Amino acid sequence: MHSESAAAHVIFGWSAAWVSSLIFVAVYVMVITEKLNRAILALLGAGLMILAGVLTQEAAIRGVDFNTIGLLLGMMVIVGITGKCGVFQYVAIWSAKKVKARPIGVLFMLSIVTAFLSALLDNVTTVLLIVPVTLLITEELKVKPYPYLLSEILFSNIGGTATLIGDPPNIMIGSAVGLTFNDFVFNLTPVILIVMGATLIPIYFLWRRDLTATEAAMNRVMKFNEREAITDPRLLKQSLAVLAAVITGFILAHALNIQPATIAMFGAAALLLLDNFHRDAEEQAKSVHHAFSEVEWVTLMFFLGLFILVHGLESSGVIAKMARELLAATGGDRNVTVIAVLWGSAILSAFIDNIPFVATMIPLIKSMAPAFGGDEALLPLWWALSLGACLGGNGTLIGASANLVVAGMAERAGQPIRFLAYLKSSFLLMILSILLSHLYLWVRFL
Amino acid sequence: MTVKDLLNPHPVTITLEETFGGALKILLERHIRALPVLDSAGIYRGMFYLYDLWELLLPKAATLEGANVTDLSFMPGSLEELREKTLAAGPRSVIEFLKDKEAPAIHPETSVKEAILMLYHHDGVLPVVEKKTRRFLGILTPWEILNRLHDKE
Amino acid sequence: MHSESTAAQVIFGWSAAWVASAIFVAVYVMVVTEKLNRAIVALLGAGLMILGGVLTQEAAIRGIDFNTIGLLLGMMVIVGITGKCGVFQFVAIWSAKKVNAHPMGVLVMLSIVTAVISAFLDNVTTVLLIVPVTLLITEELKVKPYPFLISEVVFSNIGGTATLIGDPPNIMIGSAVGLTFNDFVINLTPAILVVMAATLVPVYLLWRKELVTTDAAREKVMRFNDREAITDARLLKQAVGVLACVISAFVFARFLHLEPATIAMFGAAALLLLDNFQRDAEHQSKNVHHAFAEVEWVTLIFFLGLFILVHGLETSGVIARMAHALLAATGGDRNVTVIAILWGSAFLSAFIDNIPFVATMIPLIKSMAPTFGGAHALLPLWWALSLGACLGGNGTLIGASANLVVAGMAERAGQPIRFMAYLKSCFLLMVLSVAVCHVYLWLRYL
Repeated sequence: MHSESAAAHVIFGWSAAWVSSLIFVAVYVMVITEKLNRAILALLGAGLMILAGVLTQEAAIRGVDFNTIGLLLGMMVIVGITGKCGVFQYVAIWSAKKVKARPIGVLFMLSIVTAFLSALLDNVTTVLLIVPVTLLITEELKVKPYPYLLSEILFSNIGGTATLIGDPPNIMIGSAVGLTFNDFVFNLTPVILIVMGATLIPIYFLWRRDLTATEAAMNRVMKFNEREAITDPRLLKQSLAVLAAVITGFILAHALNIQPATIAMFGAAALLLLDNFHRDAEEQAKSVHHAFSEVEWVTLMFFLGLFILVHGLESSGVIAKMARELLAATGGDRNVTVIAVLWGSAILSAFIDNIPFVATMIPLIKSMAPAFGGDEALLPLWWALSLGACLGGNGTLIGASANLVVAGMAERAGQPIRFLAYLKSSFLLMILSILLSHLYLWVRFL
Repeated sequence: MTVKDLLNPHPVTITLEETFGGALKILLERHIRALPVLDSAGIYRGMFYLYDLWELLLPKAATLEGANVTDLSFMPGSLEELREKTLAAGPRSVIEFLKDKEAPAIHPETSVKEAILMLYHHDGVLPVVEKKTRRFLGILTPWEILNRLHDKE
Repeated sequence: MHSESTAAQVIFGWSAAWVASAIFVAVYVMVVTEKLNRAIVALLGAGLMILGGVLTQEAAIRGIDFNTIGLLLGMMVIVGITGKCGVFQFVAIWSAKKVNAHPMGVLVMLSIVTAVISAFLDNVTTVLLIVPVTLLITEELKVKPYPFLISEVVFSNIGGTATLIGDPPNIMIGSAVGLTFNDFVINLTPAILVVMAATLVPVYLLWRKELVTTDAAREKVMRFNDREAITDARLLKQAVGVLACVISAFVFARFLHLEPATIAMFGAAALLLLDNFQRDAEHQSKNVHHAFAEVEWVTLIFFLGLFILVHGLETSGVIARMAHALLAATGGDRNVTVIAILWGSAFLSAFIDNIPFVATMIPLIKSMAPTFGGAHALLPLWWALSLGACLGGNGTLIGASANLVVAGMAERAGQPIRFMAYLKSCFLLMVLSVAVCHVYLWLRYL
């Protein structure tokens, strides 16, 4: 436990536990009501933790998981540059043509492509790349885009769960616990493949009648020239090479004794180098500035504030107390706790942002190690947390950022996705995926 | 359908010898907004825009990249002052006004949807040039497309 | 000394000192030649320090001075928002009218305004705000803008030296050594006031003959309506209010037990809050995203890489060895060392970026503490470093970022500032200012 916060430092001599809980709950409530941008809230809350004396600035900085932030930042830069070369549009068009542009085939292909890309890129980027091509294709096919968009939301969240870098909760868990890329692949990818298969079946039955297109329409899509979608072949080669090197780096990270943030940031620097070394100084400055200004700083600032907030809770002993409560509720039985974490995370993540939730759960679960006999015994809890938090995001339209991004684009495209309509079809699909995860965890770990 | 089927092959053009004042006069007489500038070999060298007049009339700092002057409400101005500026620039060569801000050139084989996308983003006049030599072939404006769409009805 | 890096971890069993020095020198050379963007070079170098085994990722993160980065980031956000409300244009026009738009008076006023603003904002932002108004005014006065622009460059660097937050070297020194805002005001501001006065005299003599205009032209400037320059009165009140709070907090930082980064980041969050709370969610997220996207991330990332590089040098013992060499050269005499640092920093900073130089000098000077009898005896060395590094930037057109920014704008405005022409007038002004500082340091500390 940290000792940097002694109750004496807290303003007016109040209890550190109460002050930190108060700030934390206030920020949480404000984030949920969405009246104010979450980055502002998290930064203000973090500032209050320091101003109120719960943490010193040094302790606050120690509480920030820079491995997570570095990994996210590096991947955002790499993906931002890669996205410009048109390779994802290429893959989407290519896959649609592979199934002869038949609407239900296209739905399946785009869903699988989305899941696959989400496993390697972050979910929001994936849907930002895939949804525009989807709208192009469905417009030509004259089918409604609704089932496609919905399915892409689901599969982006499902696919993101499969790897360390697919979804922020996994990055946070991996970084805090020291789990490697390969650990995630071995333990989560199998169940994600099952969930994908099981989700495609109800989707097929739900929409197979609606999705019909004329021969002429399908022919129009078959005439798409996917090669033209690649706007910059040179950049394509460079960015695919860097992406491949980075993923290889993740796989070999353990053997090479390097951390994910180093790999991602070095990859980002290398890609910036390749993309810029032939330009003159002014163009370079513009291009590098642009690459960094496109990064989702709002998200990173939110993370920054959140880590400090959670660290405030942790150092004032609140997290430990919460862990004791949770253990008391589950009777101190690890398997009951695993299942409780899985379902609890899923239901909560369907309604609230899973990032603050996971940030809070990580130190909480960590502090259970003594109760269950060491770090090794916690592994199933981590997998349960990841599966619950990531897949739970599918439950409602506000469950994950990718959902909101797609809903926003659909609305602007005149095809709004309504909260209740989404809930009706997707909440059950989410429950189905959690049931499968429950079974998987039970068979494999409990 | 490609740009080849739509372009206006005989628009008014000017040469590199034209003056600023002469170019402005042509814009005014023809009620057009842009003039392609060709060299003696018929190679496209850039576009002279009405936009160039606005740039001339404004203080330099207002049109400077990176200067971020978004508001000139604090500066009074008079018509005589602006007329003076315009007349003073009359004898200057159009070459001075051909910076790299011209709309990107398109080619005869560019697809019609791509051309419309560019018009959507630039709302102006697209010069059509041969891909390799940049020999000037004509222009594509919203009117050529509108004309053809109207024909079919 | 840090113990995290043992020679055994370095790849191929090479010496950590050699690997670290090779990486550092390579980065330095690349930054000086300016073939590649400095953020890319610094990031790659930092990555190599980790991949080369000189540092672990954890050690690298510990080497980053997040207090400096947080302070810069917070101030950049605050200034970015404040710059939009037109208050600086207002001040510039108001000051020009105060001297009845006489060219020489305008030159002196704009120089002083630039120095004062630079003391509180970063220099590049200051010139980005002042130069456009200067061009507007000189165009109306029909005088050449050249003397005005040069003088603003010089005074932005002079003014920036006066406070903790005026220039990155001061932020770095203050953060690393624990010097407060008030320490800088008490020790550097007097010297800077003398330097300002001493610089205005040759500026006046140099250009008084050329700067003449007609009454009609002056009349035009007098008709400028300075109140109209304020584009957003509401934002103005908020921004100036927050800026005032932040500066008061800096003044009382020690009393309040607050670090500069906390103050700046909290101020930034508060200003974002004020600027956003009345907007809807989508507007907010766009606005906050924009505020962060405008931050000079290239500079911050450069800092990040640089801190890691210097930390690599430090942990491998290279810095300590350099300090020994410097002490040997100055005969271990503190006063000689102070003067050597002042002039050495000034001449070097005239040609190379002062940020990497200061980043290297900080641990180097710190390691001299035992020789000179404790941290307190080092104070004059810190002031010499700050004065030399900041004022030295005036020596050449490439000596500081503000110089390059003004040169770029002048070039685009058709009024290029040539390297040699600048050198002729400004190198002597720089030598003059450093000579003034020499006398000041000698009288006050030696």
